[in-house]
Amino acid sequence: MTQQRTWTDTGKAGPAPAAKPAKPPRPPRRDTVRRVLRSLRTFVRAQPLGAAALLLICLFVLVAIAAPLVAPHDPIEQFRRHILEPPSATYPLGTDDLGRDVLSRAIHGARTSLIIGVTTTTISLVVGTAIGVISGYFGRGLDLAIQRVMDAVQAIPGIVLLLFIAVVLGPSVRNTIIALTFFIIPSFNRIARAETLRVRQEPYVEAARATGAGAPRILYRHILPNMMASVFTLGSLIFAGVIIAESALSFLGIGAPPPTPSWGLMLSEGVRYVERAPWLIIVPAIALSIAVFSFNLLGDALRDHLDPRLQRHVKAARPWFGRRVISRLAPSLAKGVERIEATDMPAGGSGRASEPPRN
Amino acid sequence: MIYYTLRRLGYGAVVMVLVTIIVFVIMRLVPGDAVSLQLQQVGASKEEADALRAEFGLDDPVWVQLWHWLGSAVQGDLGTSFYSGEPVVDLFLARVPVTVTLGLLAMLVGSLLGLTVGVIAAVTRGSAVDGILRLIAVAFLSVPNFVVALLVLTALAIWFAWSPPLVYAGPTEDFASWLQQVIIPVLALGTGGMAAVARLTRSSMLESLGSDYIRTVRAKGVREKTVILKHALRNSTIAVLTLLGLELATVLGGTVIIEQMFGLPGTGQLIYQAVLDRDYPVVVACTIFYAGLFVFTIILLDLLYALVDPRIRHGRALS
Repeated sequence: MTQQRTWTDTGKAGPAPAAKPAKPPRPPRRDTVRRVLRSLRTFVRAQPLGAAALLLICLFVLVAIAAPLVAPHDPIEQFRRHILEPPSATYPLGTDDLGRDVLSRAIHGARTSLIIGVTTTTISLVVGTAIGVISGYFGRGLDLAIQRVMDAVQAIPGIVLLLFIAVVLGPSVRNTIIALTFFIIPSFNRIARAETLRVRQEPYVEAARATGAGAPRILYRHILPNMMASVFTLGSLIFAGVIIAESALSFLGIGAPPPTPSWGLMLSEGVRYVERAPWLIIVPAIALSIAVFSFNLLGDALRDHLDPRLQRHVKAARPWFGRRVISRLAPSLAKGVERIEATDMPAGGSGRASEPPRN
Repeated sequence: MIYYTLRRLGYGAVVMVLVTIIVFVIMRLVPGDAVSLQLQQVGASKEEADALRAEFGLDDPVWVQLWHWLGSAVQGDLGTSFYSGEPVVDLFLARVPVTVTLGLLAMLVGSLLGLTVGVIAAVTRGSAVDGILRLIAVAFLSVPNFVVALLVLTALAIWFAWSPPLVYAGPTEDFASWLQQVIIPVLALGTGGMAAVARLTRSSMLESLGSDYIRTVRAKGVREKTVILKHALRNSTIAVLTLLGLELATVLGGTVIIEQMFGLPGTGQLIYQAVLDRDYPVVVACTIFYAGLFVFTIILLDLLYALVDPRIRHGRALS
């Protein structure tokens, strides 16, 4: 796949040794940095709420990574003389029924959420997108078969099987990740497939095919880059969903195993002492909600930002990214909302409507 | 239309068979079955265990079990519970009314509130009202339903020393008690749906408000209220209906936790208990039943769509 892309490449590469075909000249790195910064700036300007969400997420990630440094105490150390104490100077958000510092547990809880969220989202994004792209690009029988399986996975009430797996295998972070990933893959598959079906019909894909590019090259160079905006937007929303699912499982006592600091676990442990120590409920509830909130808000803002159709009535569209990026992204941006909304709609509605015409 | 309907039903059947296969395979992949678990507690011998396994058909290969299950399922027999020995169908049906009432109420609350909020946000797009409503919608979408329930319970317990009655009474037996018990779960389950509906309403309203036919209607001199409520909203409701159908799955999933929290004897509680007991037939049947309900709703929505939009019916891509 090292064939020369355009005639300009040849000119610039000059007398390259024949064994090594000329590589297309890469833009200098500083340009890339500047481009990212510029697109970030336009995003911040157009979507102040999204920018705030981004800030919160950065904070969340920082706190999660630096948890041992930020937390005032060890999250599982039990201060037996300080049980169910209200917030004080030593224990800023009080202690729980075993004398553990609630603030420290909440901070380390961010870590648990982040680990599960990142792993689950990344794996299911990669696998789901790959399945969707292949299914959408090759179509026909393969597509039909893959999509029925995906429909089936999506139809299964995830929580029931998650419960079952956790009960039988015992609660553990690893099992939670495996089980969640399995049920999230179809969401990415759906959006990736819909995007592929659309991009596949674009003239530039036709052109690439005419120049003799093979399927892997077309998929990698033309189809994938053109659908990433939608996939990442969904990724942000899915991340929020994973955090919720993890806490729900932990709340039922089948997510992260007990001494692990997890928000869901803190909630379920706190229920018994609601009247005596409401902070046991309020602290993890707020932490959980803010984390989920910021990912949802970011996804929302991205969706609004990247969909030109929704901007039409307000102000003239400003360039969102550098010019080169815009030419790459623009085709995939149209109709973003529908497709993302459609991914929330497994097997049905508009998802079905975007099936390729038969024969 | 007949061809389309048949095709959709065919897909539905295929999907259901696949669901059954997946569920069986997962059940099999996890080690430890109901028998070994039960007998651990009693301390029975290996022969007894094998006899029991043979009785339940657990010693057959997976595909034989699958075949037996499918065969009897088609005849309306979803197996019997390992624990109570009752047919799963009876267990399930006895609990359906509670969950259905809960789910329908939650979806009603969610859709009514969601539509209102969505329309207001769309009409005031870009203004402070829109910003605040959007923020609220995302906020509601972000607080998981069990956390909403928990927070409401906490607040009520602290400030009013009130908590919902513990023993469930049907609406016909004791309406006041039923209402007290059901109101928090309904609100908790409804808020997520509300936010989702509001968001979708907003975006599809914006889309229709920017379209040519709305401009025409406005040019005709129709009152703004009519433009919004009659012309724009009507065209947005199809998308919202689809969402509601799918919201069903979320609500059903949510009931597993919420019913457990509030001691409501619905299907969610049945499933939770069955999972804890490793009562395979009940878990399998309930999972597949939920999946079937979901697939059925989807097909129904698809057909409804096709009825409204001939382009889908004739197999042409929409977007």
